[in-house]
Amino acid sequence: MNQFWLRISSNRFYKQLLKEPLSYVAGAVLLAVFATAHLAVFSKGWGVTSAFADWGAWVYELFGGNVDKWAYFSSEKAQKTLSGGFMNDGGSIRNLGIVLGALLATLFASEFKIKKIKSKKQVIAAVLGGLLMGYGARLANGCNIGALFTAISSLSLSGWIFGAFLFVGAFIGSKLLAKFFM
Amino acid sequence: MAEFTLDCLGEACPVPLMKTEKKMADLKVGDVLVVSIDHSCAMKNVPEWARKQGHNVEIEEIADGEWEVVIEKTK
Repeated sequence: MNQFWLRISSNRFYKQLLKEPLSYVAGAVLLAVFATAHLAVFSKGWGVTSAFADWGAWVYELFGGNVDKWAYFSSEKAQKTLSGGFMNDGGSIRNLGIVLGALLATLFASEFKIKKIKSKKQVIAAVLGGLLMGYGARLANGCNIGALFTAISSLSLSGWIFGAFLFVGAFIGSKLLAKFFM
Repeated sequence: MAEFTLDCLGEACPVPLMKTEKKMADLKVGDVLVVSIDHSCAMKNVPEWARKQGHNVEIEEIADGEWEVVIEKTK
């Protein structure tokens, strides 16, 4: 059995498809194909973070909260998504698929590892960064997928503006990173 | 011809690359730096940067999701 796995791990196709990262061009082509398929099937561009807002609302409801009166969730569509639940929300299932797909990819490459937390600074930075990204994505009406990738590929000017300010944010972020983590 | 190590385990992009750049500046020509990495995109950008600088680079996969990038300073 061991012999079998050793043979697979030295197989050319295994290495090319599952072990080594795809080339940038291969990745770009796949993204283009799947983004187009997403638009064709769901009549809606690919996005990630709006589903996270619904997840937040569901967690809040678990603790007895109520978002019925919140302006963000006031539309009939938003209410329908919330009352439909996780399993009936395509966006939530798609996000779950991204996580499971990423897990499968590291397992296929046998590169799965639970990384240890090195310092308290990392925890603080991760929590603060996550909150800022989530909040920013709601203000900007999308993240680097919905507001950048999907917007630009739909020939929308908003994507380019988002991109310009993404650079501003990345510049400030890298300065902070160098200051606190070097 | 000294050998140095840099522990970047548990560190995400772009910290391993920034630390490697900084450490390489302190090394003398002929010295070797062994960078421990467990972040797959750092495993790509650290060797990429070092090769662009003209250094000799070797990558060893030492465990699942763990690599050692061996960089020999050439100039």
